[in-house]
Amino acid sequence: MNEISSTAPPEEATDEPLSIKLSIARQLSDRPQIVLIAVLVALIVVTAIIEPNYLSLAGLRNSAFFAVPIGVLAAGQTILMLTAGIDLSIAMIATASAYIAANQSPNGAAIAIILGLLFGIVAGTANGIGVGIFRVNPLIMTLATSGILLGLFTGWATTIFAGSTRMHDFIITLGRGTFLDGNVPWSVVVWIGVSIFVLLLLRRTGYGRNLYALGDNPIAARLSGTRAWQVLVVAYAISGLLGAVAGLLMGGRIGAADLQLAGFLLLPSVAAAVIGGTSIFGGVGTYTGTILGALILGVLQSLLTFLGAGQAVQQVLYGTIVVGLSWMYSRLAAAS
Amino acid sequence: MTAANPTVEARPLSGRSWRRWTQRHGWTVGIWILLVVLVVWYSTLIPRFGGFQFSTIINGGTAWIFLAAAQAVVVIAGGLDLGVGGLLVLTSATAAQFMDGQPFAISIVLAVVILIGAAILNGFVGWIVTVSRVPDIVVTLGSLFIYQGLALMMLPKVGGGSSDGFRWLFTGSATGIGTNPWPAIVMITVPIAVAARWMGRTPSGLSLYAVGSDETAAFLSGVNAARVKIVSYAVGGAFVAMAGFSTLAIAGVGNATTEGSSLTLNSVAAIVLGGVLFTGGVGSLIAVVPAALILFFFNPILSALGVNPNQAQVIQGILIVFVMMVASLIEWRRRRRS
Amino acid sequence: MTTSQQPLLSTAGIAKSYGPVIALTSVDLSVAPGEIHALLGANGAGKSTLVKILASVFDADVGSVTINGAAVNLKGPGEATEAGIATVFQDPALIPDLSLDQNLTISGLRHSDVVPWLERMQLADLDFGLLVRDIPLASLRLVDLARALAHDPQLLMLDEITAALTPEQADRVFDVMREWKSMNRSVLFISHRLGEVLRICDVATILRNGRDVAHLDLSGIDEAELVTAMLGEELARGSKAGSPDAAPSRQTLSDKDRGVVLAAKDLHFRGRINGVSFELRRGEILGVTALEGQGQNELFALLSGDHRPTSGEIEINGERLSAYSPYKAIRKGLVLVPGSRHDALLPQRSIRENLATPLYNRIGRWFSLVADESERVDGAVARLNIDTRAASQVRRLSGGNQQKVTIGRWLVSDFEVLLCFDPTRGIDIQTKAQIYELLKELARDGAAVLMYSSELREIPLVCDRVLVMYDGSIVHEQSAATATEEILLTAAHGLESAPA
Repeated sequence: MNEISSTAPPEEATDEPLSIKLSIARQLSDRPQIVLIAVLVALIVVTAIIEPNYLSLAGLRNSAFFAVPIGVLAAGQTILMLTAGIDLSIAMIATASAYIAANQSPNGAAIAIILGLLFGIVAGTANGIGVGIFRVNPLIMTLATSGILLGLFTGWATTIFAGSTRMHDFIITLGRGTFLDGNVPWSVVVWIGVSIFVLLLLRRTGYGRNLYALGDNPIAARLSGTRAWQVLVVAYAISGLLGAVAGLLMGGRIGAADLQLAGFLLLPSVAAAVIGGTSIFGGVGTYTGTILGALILGVLQSLLTFLGAGQAVQQVLYGTIVVGLSWMYSRLAAAS
Repeated sequence: MTAANPTVEARPLSGRSWRRWTQRHGWTVGIWILLVVLVVWYSTLIPRFGGFQFSTIINGGTAWIFLAAAQAVVVIAGGLDLGVGGLLVLTSATAAQFMDGQPFAISIVLAVVILIGAAILNGFVGWIVTVSRVPDIVVTLGSLFIYQGLALMMLPKVGGGSSDGFRWLFTGSATGIGTNPWPAIVMITVPIAVAARWMGRTPSGLSLYAVGSDETAAFLSGVNAARVKIVSYAVGGAFVAMAGFSTLAIAGVGNATTEGSSLTLNSVAAIVLGGVLFTGGVGSLIAVVPAALILFFFNPILSALGVNPNQAQVIQGILIVFVMMVASLIEWRRRRRS
Repeated sequence: MTTSQQPLLSTAGIAKSYGPVIALTSVDLSVAPGEIHALLGANGAGKSTLVKILASVFDADVGSVTINGAAVNLKGPGEATEAGIATVFQDPALIPDLSLDQNLTISGLRHSDVVPWLERMQLADLDFGLLVRDIPLASLRLVDLARALAHDPQLLMLDEITAALTPEQADRVFDVMREWKSMNRSVLFISHRLGEVLRICDVATILRNGRDVAHLDLSGIDEAELVTAMLGEELARGSKAGSPDAAPSRQTLSDKDRGVVLAAKDLHFRGRINGVSFELRRGEILGVTALEGQGQNELFALLSGDHRPTSGEIEINGERLSAYSPYKAIRKGLVLVPGSRHDALLPQRSIRENLATPLYNRIGRWFSLVADESERVDGAVARLNIDTRAASQVRRLSGGNQQKVTIGRWLVSDFEVLLCFDPTRGIDIQTKAQIYELLKELARDGAAVLMYSSELREIPLVCDRVLVMYDGSIVHEQSAATATEEILLTAAHGLESAPA
């Protein structure tokens, strides 16, 4: 309990050969993907035992349909959680972008998509200005943005957007279309594109370095010259953009914009990032982990469907997994 | 600026201490005045403002107040509890399941048991937060999911019920609709006043502020920080149970499909408006009560104005952002100064 | 109660380390009833750690504490107070967001318990409804003292209580201490001000490098003798003699290259820095030394752009620093190695990311990685000889290697002036030597280095010139080659400097 001890300098362990236990702890702490892949494989095996047909492209496809929007939204959460932030408005941004895209669909797919995405960037930037410049707590800022958007679009749904909620066919194809004999959803391709973008952003750019530095130790980042507000505004803008991408995919899947489009994905998107080993305190995490987290949630969804387990069991399982894995990560980090 | 601190010994006010008093309690007074102004204004907006309208506001606001109080206790002690919304759904579903068809006396016994159970359950969440060193926001995100799932297991379909007397306790009427606001007012005032006094005057209550404000200094003053945090979550759990009972009393039946997360978000918004600082150690239950009522009250007022509820939500969101920006900037300047 | 022979409190073989850093090796301390006992030692000698162990803030790793002849095992500051040990810690132990009244309530005290003591300290009119954060530090120290006294302790421990007080306030504290002594109770007193120690204290225990090295009766001792005792006999002589290779790097740059690169002009900062001016030349290593809390932290915060001076100017290459932010200072070539590694490292990131961070400050560098990042990083790692076996998270490195990373960051990017705040604190001798060598090398290559050091001994080893700060001002300046520890320590205590 002694909080004073947290000020003690880190332990020294480099000058002696590592014990086996310590080196395993370090491996797992540095690469939570190892654990996640094991969990994912175990889940797939269990699901396949319960429902042998699951192990087919068609069976896996259903898991993918569920995992894709979570994975895209969780990309935004991952980026923000690396800065010790969070985006509670991302699902509402997704819904709102879907409305914009649907409204603009008569003007062609390109304009619909561009305006939809642009909306996401603008809404995200507003969050970023609040958090980065006015230092509003990210939880509050994004919560308020979510409320504002919900209010606006609930009102507009019956006025401005009334009768113009149908998505352009191209967006519908992206959302629910498939290729290779109907086995591979186009949305998976979109997710792969998003993944490459996010992975490169985090690992291969100076911006990614700033992101991790800021989240790991804001004071050290400031003293070595990082300008936090710029990093944060861009991070929230990217999160908004990713929210819009997910919104278009969901809108395409349903075929139309709808107020209930994405709200139910908000908590799973945070859960996917947490399961993937991203620390909500910032500085630690990878999008690879988040992808695995989203896939685990996707397979879990299929498993629970096959079991006939209801919402209730699913919720309890979600909660247990989030707390359990986080606890394990924190133990591993402390042990290494 | 910000928020009110628990009251200190009353003393004759000189000019200087008057300024200090307004600095310290200005937020609380301001929020109360805002509430009164809104109620008066509302009464002029609608054709008839009487006991029915008044008790509707009080009754409907009860759950918001208790939920916000729960969040406030936890945040003041330096934590955050996203699980409150889920726990509300769980307690009201559990109460609905077991109280259905029971006489008044039994329903009260059940209420006490459920209240204690909620306190223990949420105290356990607090224990996980302190022991695991997993961020509170993650642990309580998990507890939000779990509570919601448990509620669905407890009461898979909308149903259950409670006793007439139980409903009267929270609504002043056996049907949940009536013109008598007094039972609800008492049900709110007594627990909140007791808790506010505990937090403002007693060593154990002030320890919540101490841990939220400066954990190291609290430890040096002899405070056991881990125990205090667990207590804060447990007290929060008890308040949530009260919110759950009120919800059940108004609706008459339990509903486990209610979205707990949006209830949590309401509680967070209410404590922000109530001047509780997210960094911990600052805030007062006395200011959180009117803040929660104002948030609840927004929709009726604006609908009386002919504004639709959606625009009301927009205005509410903008208000919260504005309040937070001002609060953050003032707080930032204050910290820079010292 | 106690017999006059039996000590009120005694310790045997107290040891404490924080990970690799050893704070206390073995301390024996014995405080008799009715004495005012001084605990002396240089920065980092372990005084505060010992106090915190006695107050049961930490547990000792080894060793025993005896109170009135009985071994005790206290759990937490609360129990220590009950056992009769009340402490005024160096950092205030009052809750900033609560009023004084509420702070007393938490400690289980009433207003009336402390009022008599506050009256003694002429603070009776202090308003107890004020929030702690709105009360001046000096008053808080006195309230902390009154709170400790209200517990009616057998032993009162005061850690640097006079540092924030005016001389008049300090006198009142001394009166209380004398009264405590007259009641046959004891005080353990820590202070850097040797004059007041001699005035008020009966005996002293001197700590050096985590050991008790001397137990002195203070009657008939003067300040010079006390300084000698604190330095240790052999050191006091050795530091004057010096060793041949201890001489600082001789200038290899021509006069033309040795222009002024950094100039501070009459800097003031919120009463904590009062008119600091100096010039730093290319190729020069300028040392700064001071006791704790004399404005050195603030000076480095100003120079690195972390704070804006209340008045005064900072010039780099004759150009005025107009906007104050670390980013701007770094762009101008003014870079900081912070005093605490907690303020410098990204603990959960790799050595590579830690070293390369400043390369990506400009938005123009956000879109990719710098092409020669690997060469730059590997170059710095090689030059500093950083152990890369635990490279994936720097929190796993030893203190010495972590310190190398904080310096290496600026080798990877470019700079003109290196500000180093106590760069060798708490690291091993070998790494210290490497850092000395590196700083000299950098200076030879034309960089300017401003180095604060709390270790007087390293000033002549590394620096060309040295400034001594006291109470927010520079009180002494001289060539580092002839700066003995004795001269520096005397100056650092704000005393008249002995003829060098």
